[in-house]
Amino acid sequence: MKKKLHNIFCSCTEKKIDHCRVRLENCPDNARPLSKACGCERFKVCKIRGDRKLCARMAQLGVLPGSEIELICPLQSENCMVRIMGSTISLDQLSADNIIVTPA
Amino acid sequence: MRDSIHIALAGNPNAGKTTLFNQLTGARQHVGNYPGVTVEIKTGICHHQQSKLVVTDLPGTYSLTAYSVEEIVARDFLVNEKPDVVVNIVDASNLERNLYLTCQFMELGVPVIIALNMIDVAKSRGINIDAEKLSELMRAPVVPIIARSGKGMELLLDTVVQVGRDREKQWVPLHLSYGEDLDQVLEDMTPMIRDGRLLTDTYPPRWTGLKILENDDQILDRAMRADSELADALVTRSEEVTRHLQTTVDAYPEAVIADHRYGYIKSILRQGVFSQIFDVDRLYASDRIDKIVTHRFLGPLIMAAVLYALYSVTFTYSTIPAGWLESFFAVLSEMVDQTLPEGPVKSMIISGVIDGVGGVLGFVPIIMFMFFGIAILEDSGYLARVAFMMDRVFRFFGLHGSSVMPFIVSGGIAGGCAVPGVMATRTLRSPKERMATLLTVPFMNCGAKLPVLALLIGAFFSSHQARYMFLATLLSWSVALMAAKFLRSTVLRGEPTPFVMELPPYRFPTFKGLLIHTWERTWQYIKKAGTVILGISILLWAMMTYPGLPDDRLHEFARHKAEIMAAYPQNFAEEAALVGEERTTEMEELQDKLLLVENRQAEAALRHSIAGRMGIALESVSRYAGFDWRTNIALVGGFAAKEVIISTLGTAYSLGSVDPEESTSLKDRLRADKNWNPVVALGVLAFIMFYAPCFVTVVCIARESGSWKWAWFSMGFNTIFAFLLAILIYQVGTFITG
Repeated sequence: MKKKLHNIFCSCTEKKIDHCRVRLENCPDNARPLSKACGCERFKVCKIRGDRKLCARMAQLGVLPGSEIELICPLQSENCMVRIMGSTISLDQLSADNIIVTPA
Repeated sequence: MRDSIHIALAGNPNAGKTTLFNQLTGARQHVGNYPGVTVEIKTGICHHQQSKLVVTDLPGTYSLTAYSVEEIVARDFLVNEKPDVVVNIVDASNLERNLYLTCQFMELGVPVIIALNMIDVAKSRGINIDAEKLSELMRAPVVPIIARSGKGMELLLDTVVQVGRDREKQWVPLHLSYGEDLDQVLEDMTPMIRDGRLLTDTYPPRWTGLKILENDDQILDRAMRADSELADALVTRSEEVTRHLQTTVDAYPEAVIADHRYGYIKSILRQGVFSQIFDVDRLYASDRIDKIVTHRFLGPLIMAAVLYALYSVTFTYSTIPAGWLESFFAVLSEMVDQTLPEGPVKSMIISGVIDGVGGVLGFVPIIMFMFFGIAILEDSGYLARVAFMMDRVFRFFGLHGSSVMPFIVSGGIAGGCAVPGVMATRTLRSPKERMATLLTVPFMNCGAKLPVLALLIGAFFSSHQARYMFLATLLSWSVALMAAKFLRSTVLRGEPTPFVMELPPYRFPTFKGLLIHTWERTWQYIKKAGTVILGISILLWAMMTYPGLPDDRLHEFARHKAEIMAAYPQNFAEEAALVGEERTTEMEELQDKLLLVENRQAEAALRHSIAGRMGIALESVSRYAGFDWRTNIALVGGFAAKEVIISTLGTAYSLGSVDPEESTSLKDRLRADKNWNPVVALGVLAFIMFYAPCFVTVVCIARESGSWKWAWFSMGFNTIFAFLLAILIYQVGTFITG
């Protein structure tokens, strides 16, 4: 389990891991912001944080708690690319920071 | 009662809406803007079964809640124009997400026909859709089509005519369940809205309640203006349930509503409508391409190569038709020159009208090539990837990833043009980032500035020409990006728009689609810019022509010429002009003397004109930057087009007409002039690079921003900045060099 987690969050630096381990209410222990997920893996959305407009925009795109997303292109300095409901969507760091995921 | 059937084409971005619109209407379309916004509205006509169909292509949207201008425009069109049929184009290979919008049309109650597009792509992915079953469950006609090839068009139009002719049919909104809590609130709200007649002329009461729960800014605003007391009561109810949902499920109502809509769609798809043979996890071709073209290291290299290719093709091949146009206008000028008698009318037609119209049409080939290239990148899906990769850099300066294209086209690689650059900002959706891009692209080194830069660098820094030209390109990028940062921190202050965008799958664009896109954008330029530019061109001509020299000065020059000619045999001057290259030394001597007088006369006339007087008047201020009156006139003339600076400087320095490409005589003249030195040249260079854009660009800025306020701002801001920079260079340079 530990190894699996290490693979998923492979290139996170120690500092980032510390930052990642902020307790997230109503989410399992292995929940992380999407921006901290590094491998091209499938994830389950646990929670959407951020302001109301962002939550609404994510919801209309199908990024809802419980939905599965696939990280096609991990965060390259600022933006990442995910596949959800058959569409490829690019997200900036702010949005990716606010999507809390767990490995699917 | 309308004679024709009005159809609205609606759907998600990249669902094939515009392809279907082009298939239906061909070239019979009209492109305009929705009032007050830069969102395009396209209408077209087609005929089917003796019925005239008026087709409107609505902007691509994901929902009918007011999250973006496009969504507001699409929604307002539906409720205000009440089309007879809404053809909802749905991407069959991406059904679940696309049906989310369908679901919202049904909540509003509009008569919907689902055009199930790209069924071929869906089949290639192993997706099978039972259209009949979908139609039965959605309670709306479903027609499978392939918009690219036109397959299924007949059946779609048959259905449109059938539904469209049934005008008596009322709009019946679909009532979905959004969970116990929200359903209860909606049940309370609906009678309140109906009894209070709150916006009931436009929207169904339950739908208004739903939008209040979704915190829809536009509906909340309209409700407040219509009946603030009732709206307050509804908002209070909405806030109560929002707090409750936040506490119990940690979500806002709009997320819960979206979840239930998706749940409704899933329930339909699971009833035998949708099946997939292949593994859902497999990567499609688009994803595989993305792995390479958006790669951390390969991606930027591929992008640089693609953009450079677009740029090279545009500016290499557009010169051929541009040359034809130039020749055509030269012939036209010559014809007018030979036909009309000397006088102000002839001068105005040649210098004002023909040069003005020629100036506008001269840009058309560049614009067509550029838009054709952009249409390929846009329709193939690559432009979205460019935005994705560049967003990081541009975001730092308050811009958007999509800003890269306008910057490059405007002269990011020296030699572009700000006019197509300004027009290329249409690909940006976020308004503040778009405005910042629009106002800063003129800082790039366009092709018209290059001969002027080459002249001054060649005259004063000839041993380091390449280095200075490269520095000029770097400087233009730095200033443009810093100016964008400044604007986004001041007049265009605001939170950056989150970069959340769908990346369309890679597709081969259709040639017909590319041609239509290119033509509609080019035509808009000709139509919009042409009218205003003609007027400004005539005004500039008048400023540099009037008032003419007083009679006594004219007589003085005439007498001077007569004196020169008197020293030679009679009719010697006419003979010299006729014999061409076989002139004797005496004939050449006479012609040179006469030319010298004519050039002095042109200089005196220019000095006497309004532009000349402005140049002299401005000298009291411009001397702080080291500009004399001649430079000032040239800079005023540069407002017409930057290359005019060279010809005006030539006239001001009594050199007659100077070809911008062959300005050696002017170079020598400037180098020898006591008012010029390397420090002055640097200041002038900086000023020319950054002062007010040419008037064609200014008109385009006004049109694209929707207000002349921004055009004036662009002129004022750029000129003040350029002047301060020139003063700084001149004062510091003079101090250092003594």
